[in-house]
Amino acid sequence: MKIFFFKSILIFFLFIIAFHLTFNIAIKKINQKIFEITTKENVEKIKNQIRDEMKSAIAKDNYISKDDAKLISSFFKKIMKDLEINF
Amino acid sequence: MFQVNKEPKKTHTNSFYKKNQHGIILIFFYIFIIVLVLINLESFGIHIEEKFHRSNGFYWLSYISDKFGYEILKLISDEKLKNIYDYTLAPVNYYRQWGIVLDVPFSLIEIIFNLENIDKIYYTKHFISFLIFLLSSFFFYKILIVRFNNKIFSLVGLIIYISTPRIFGDSFLYKDVLFLSLFTISIYYLIKLVDKNSLKNLIKFSLFSSLSINLRILGLGLLFTYIFLLLLIYLKNKELKIFITNIFKVFILIFILNYCFWPFLWEKPFENFIDLFVMLKRDLVKARVLFNGEYIYNRFLPSFYLPLWIIVSTPLLMILPSLFCFFFYFIRLIKRFFNIKEESYFFDLWRSKKENIDFIFLFIFINFFLFLIVLNASFYNGWRLVYFLNIFIIYFIIYLADIIFKKLKNRIKKILVFLYCGLFIIALNNTINIFIYHPYQSLYFNYFLSDKLKNSFEGDYHGISAKSFFLKIHSYEPNKKLNIAVASYTPLQRGLEALDKSIRSNFNIVGQNYNFAHYIYKNNISEVDSKLNKKYDIPSNFLKIYEEKRSGSVIYEIYKKTQL
Repeated sequence: MKIFFFKSILIFFLFIIAFHLTFNIAIKKINQKIFEITTKENVEKIKNQIRDEMKSAIAKDNYISKDDAKLISSFFKKIMKDLEINF
Repeated sequence: MFQVNKEPKKTHTNSFYKKNQHGIILIFFYIFIIVLVLINLESFGIHIEEKFHRSNGFYWLSYISDKFGYEILKLISDEKLKNIYDYTLAPVNYYRQWGIVLDVPFSLIEIIFNLENIDKIYYTKHFISFLIFLLSSFFFYKILIVRFNNKIFSLVGLIIYISTPRIFGDSFLYKDVLFLSLFTISIYYLIKLVDKNSLKNLIKFSLFSSLSINLRILGLGLLFTYIFLLLLIYLKNKELKIFITNIFKVFILIFILNYCFWPFLWEKPFENFIDLFVMLKRDLVKARVLFNGEYIYNRFLPSFYLPLWIIVSTPLLMILPSLFCFFFYFIRLIKRFFNIKEESYFFDLWRSKKENIDFIFLFIFINFFLFLIVLNASFYNGWRLVYFLNIFIIYFIIYLADIIFKKLKNRIKKILVFLYCGLFIIALNNTINIFIYHPYQSLYFNYFLSDKLKNSFEGDYHGISAKSFFLKIHSYEPNKKLNIAVASYTPLQRGLEALDKSIRSNFNIVGQNYNFAHYIYKNNISEVDSKLNKKYDIPSNFLKIYEEKRSGSVIYEIYKKTQL
């Protein structure tokens, strides 16, 4: 009985450590990621990134490549056309 | 005749001195420390939770007076409670579960001695908290005496216990170190109880464990340690009746004592006790903490948060020998663990009373450590919530000295001198750091860290630097009404109470309304990610005029408006 008791304790401790090193840490990381996405600071960070991107776009002579400009223009025309038909 | 009469008297005095040499040294040591602390007591600041604890004391004193029909006491308590106000302070009845161990007795002291000046009230409380800490150091000394039977080792252990910089600095703040003090006394009685299973020892152990539980629910760990030790003793002795009776007795005693000390449990003992755990989860500080240069939300702290904090904020001379000895003993215990036999003459995990103490220390340390890490405990402001772990660090230092002494005493005759020197250097290093960091010992960082690294960990959470800040500003502009902004999460206005009334009225705290401020107080405490959230950024029209530093670690900064 005594040996069984001590073995159980050992297994319990090993299980706790293994649980922590695998499942517990992984869950914590996932929860942290989810939390960080929704924080006010992260929203602010994304806003700042958009602002920076807009500033760099203004500073450049040609921000959109010729092919992209053509594609976006066609896309807008298509949207406008569909709006006119369906509205 | 004359000579015959004189000689025995002299011998008697000498033998008395020899017998009580250590006792006399201890008494002088304690008197020296008390005098030193009394002289410097008011150079320490007051902390941000003083107000809460004062109101907690009067709230429960009023409740107890009401229950026992002491109407005048209730009236005085209610009146005092009414006058404690702070716009950042939650109502005391919201945090009813907080312990009352020091708060209620001190409220009573405040009434009996008619203490009126708020700064004097706080400093008296600081002093009482320090005296309890000193008392616990004596119990730690007694543990070391029982275990190592070496008065000098034990005396140095006691000095290290008192002089660990962060612990010394916090010993005035009657929170984490108060728990450490009660925890240490409980461990002493736990050791006595395991050695001699008597009702007297059981009552003493239950009494101090209950007081520890009242302060921090973590104190329950001591009860479970005792039960585990009883189980190990039962496995050896196979005395089921004694095992069950002891468990029954300790549960009953701890329940009764907790019920007596904790008015929160008086109305619905079981329901409120379970509520404690719910409230613990509800009331935990949920904020970002500055850890290793990153503002991390304290619910998602990395597993190495606790060990790293202990390493960076405990003197290296303490950490290294302690870690070495911890692993040494751990390996020894593991070997013993794998040699357990179904029947044996000795106890399985210890052979003697002394080894039993080693086992108790290791068992408690490992369990608390694992428990806190596995349950993702939401720490904040370093490891102060678990400052009680410091006694394990010191215990293993003295244990290492004892091992070296026993292994080498036959080979190197002068080993004891070297060991005493080594231990003395550890104590001296602590003492020097206490002087260097004064009065911010609770913000100590290891000297091997770079200044940049020291400042990438949270600093003055308790706002103890507020007093120094206000006095500094007052020295710049003594008779002017000034608006002070706070670029920190610290509720700075609470620090005003450490000042004289005449000075206090000169300051008006305007929070983060920097436009109205003449000066800004800044430290690195922030509940938001200050790299992204700009609420604590200093406006460009303010200029840094002063920086309070200790050994490269910035305590606070003062900014002054350059244009209106």
